[in-house]
Amino acid sequence: MSLVSLVQSIQDSGVAEWMRTSVKAMPIVESIHVLAAATVFGTIFIVDLRLLGFPNLRRPFTRVSDELLKLTWGAFFTALVTGVLMFAANANTYYENTAFRFKMAALLLAGLNMAIFQLVTFRTVGNWNTDVKPPSAARVAGVLSILVWVSVIFFARWIGFTKGYHFEAPPTDVNFSF
Amino acid sequence: MNELGTSLETSALSQAIKDATWVIPLLQSIHIVTIGVVFVSSLMIALRVLGRMRADEPFAVVWARFAPWMWYGLGVMVVTGVFLVIGEPVREFTAFSFWLKMTLLAIAVVTTFVFGRTFAPRGGAASAAAGVASGAGAGVAAGAGAGALYAGASGAAPVTGRSGAAVAAGVSVADPAGAAATEFSPGAKAVAVGIIVVWLAIIFLGRAIAYDVEVWGSLSLHN
Repeated sequence: MSLVSLVQSIQDSGVAEWMRTSVKAMPIVESIHVLAAATVFGTIFIVDLRLLGFPNLRRPFTRVSDELLKLTWGAFFTALVTGVLMFAANANTYYENTAFRFKMAALLLAGLNMAIFQLVTFRTVGNWNTDVKPPSAARVAGVLSILVWVSVIFFARWIGFTKGYHFEAPPTDVNFSF
Repeated sequence: MNELGTSLETSALSQAIKDATWVIPLLQSIHIVTIGVVFVSSLMIALRVLGRMRADEPFAVVWARFAPWMWYGLGVMVVTGVFLVIGEPVREFTAFSFWLKMTLLAIAVVTTFVFGRTFAPRGGAASAAAGVASGAGAGVAAGAGAGALYAGASGAAPVTGRSGAAVAAGVSVADPAGAAATEFSPGAKAVAVGIIVVWLAIIFLGRAIAYDVEVWGSLSLHN
């Protein structure tokens, strides 16, 4: 199955149809998506700032990151589920949208940055966990993370202004029910 | 209100914001990035009150870490928000979600401000932070910091036992010598939960402005 036909089958799915025709589904799903994305960024931002030594180096890095881990992943999972629902409703136009593709690329970069940090830089955390300036690799990872996640949010908002619709949205001849 | 929106829409600034098609997406993006900072800062403070986050740090230290980000972030949100309203005044003023959002925002800001003043008075953070920084063997200094913090005064409070001032402020110091573990009253915890619920509603309403009729039906001022 080609990617284009996969996208088309997603758009033709029942859940996609429900997202398009339910009067309240899209606003609720979108709001939860924004809330989850804000939480992902806000929690990651705290960890990134700690990598940069802000506000200080007293609180162990592992404690800062561990205590936020569940919140970050919970919010990320929520953003993923709501994002898939939004994508499904309008899969063809998301797929063709440049801002959407940039957003996906930025998400991949964020994952790559995190993986490199976790697999390489983090191995020496015992040397800089508390009261020691993190190594430059860790600080670079922090800066990159902030830049990439801000980019994700910017591209995401740009999608809403550029994607348009391949259908009447909302359809005028549908008897709306939630 | 619709008339105010319409007249504002014809202003030169409103036209300029609309004509440059990148301005509104840019402002909205900054607005959302800042929401992440403000909401999570508020969440961290609330979770500390509930004892679910940074319970090993005095409340004043947690407040001092996150409150500035919250207040300055709110400043950025107000500035971007004002320009967004000027850019699309009719869309905003005729949205029920917008007015509900503004009301809840006022409630969140006032409640958070009063909460901070009550439990983390000015000067308390520095002494509490100094207490934490001094580490083991400096329990007396830490205790004095906590005493000053919870008493809301600059003088040191008794180190031993539960501080009367702390109890009066709705906080009990479980470990006065360590000045770390503090237990808030059920009322204070309820306020913390309330602030987070209000913030969740504010973020929801911010997005719901785009779907006012769909969300509110006959309550929407678009009708």
